[in-house]
Amino acid sequence: MTETNHERWSEDVAAYLLGALEPDEATVLERHAEGCERCRAEIRWMTPAVDALPESVERLEPPRELRERVMAEVRFDAEPENVFKDDPAAAGVFARASNWLRELGSGPMGLRPVVGFAAAILVVAAVAGFAIGGGIGGGSGGGGTSTVVAGTAPGVTAKVISTDGSGTLHLANVKQLPSDRVLEAWVQREGEVEPVEALFVPDRKGKASTELPDMSGVEVVMVTTEPQGGSKAPTSAPIITISTQ
Amino acid sequence: MTVRKEKAERLADEELMPLIGEKDPEAFEVFYDRHGGVAYSLAYRIVGEKAAAEDVTQEAFISIWKSGARFDRARGSVRSWMLSIVRNRAIDALRSRAGKAPKLSFDDDAILEQRPSEELTDAEAMRRETATELRGALGELPGEQSKVIELAYFGGFSQSEISRMLGVPLGTVKGRMRLGLEKIRGELAEGLA
Repeated sequence: MTETNHERWSEDVAAYLLGALEPDEATVLERHAEGCERCRAEIRWMTPAVDALPESVERLEPPRELRERVMAEVRFDAEPENVFKDDPAAAGVFARASNWLRELGSGPMGLRPVVGFAAAILVVAAVAGFAIGGGIGGGSGGGGTSTVVAGTAPGVTAKVISTDGSGTLHLANVKQLPSDRVLEAWVQREGEVEPVEALFVPDRKGKASTELPDMSGVEVVMVTTEPQGGSKAPTSAPIITISTQ
Repeated sequence: MTVRKEKAERLADEELMPLIGEKDPEAFEVFYDRHGGVAYSLAYRIVGEKAAAEDVTQEAFISIWKSGARFDRARGSVRSWMLSIVRNRAIDALRSRAGKAPKLSFDDDAILEQRPSEELTDAEAMRRETATELRGALGELPGEQSKVIELAYFGGFSQSEISRMLGVPLGTVKGRMRLGLEKIRGELAEGLA
């Protein structure tokens, strides 16, 4: 294609820049423009107009929590070993949670190791302290909260409040689930994983909670999404994992 | 504030990108602080819900963190590149939500109710002033032109879909898009650029 059929293509330049061509149409125009200086000049001329469109949007202040979540993931991805450098207790709990998940991956439940798990650990010491307020690893004893959280769902935070042998699990920032999926909590005691009977779903604000009737000896709590009615063993990677010790 | 972050704050976006490509979190933090506001605002403008806008913004920035080294300065500014990533992800999110129509007006009460930032850098203050002028320029476009531009850019509709939606010939849609963009470009050339 040459400049001789420029006019035919020129009328699509605006739609191309606005993202309004079908992918194959866009590809054809790009190929033509490679050999058509007039089209390239039009694209160069009109591009600032399209670049101006997002700049025209009314400015909003993004939530502070969004920045915290993004930077937590970035810092962990960059230097996972430094994330817990100021909190050895958190580092220990984090390591136990990680090991537990790895064991799940090779264990009888057949869960594959979570792809990119290390990069997906989102709620790190600083964020957990901010979001949960109970302090990392501060959950022993009656009425304590347990905190260290790892998981595959971006932004999800959690806390377990334990009182007199039972507990309540609170989640925040959980995405809405398809109508055929529910949240199911699991507890680990002495290496054995068992389901928590009550199934639950997030509310419209992304908050979800469930009772943990028996917290005795529980080492880890995790949550997965499961089909309606729940499962006898986890069938998906945990969206969140909380070490209670 | 660390020395590294102070240094990063003095760098232009194009100079930050190689550092981000080398996985420097402080360079990325500066990048986020510089562009997080407009990214979130654009995402909200397209998806129309705070939670979804947060998801889109987070996914876009993490994608940039993971692919920062792939920025090609020959294809435009870092900011435009970043906003195109946000826009694409927001349009994807919009399309994945069945039955949700895009917002079509620049003058949106829900947006205006949002609390504006109290502390602005000079650069951000200038950008907001420019944004106001741009909205004015867009507002002066004939309605038929601004509508096709909004449907395409903020709604993610193709020109064929817009043609069917508005019940006008495809050629008319193309012409309105072109005229609208040319007018905006003309305004930019006269003083907004």
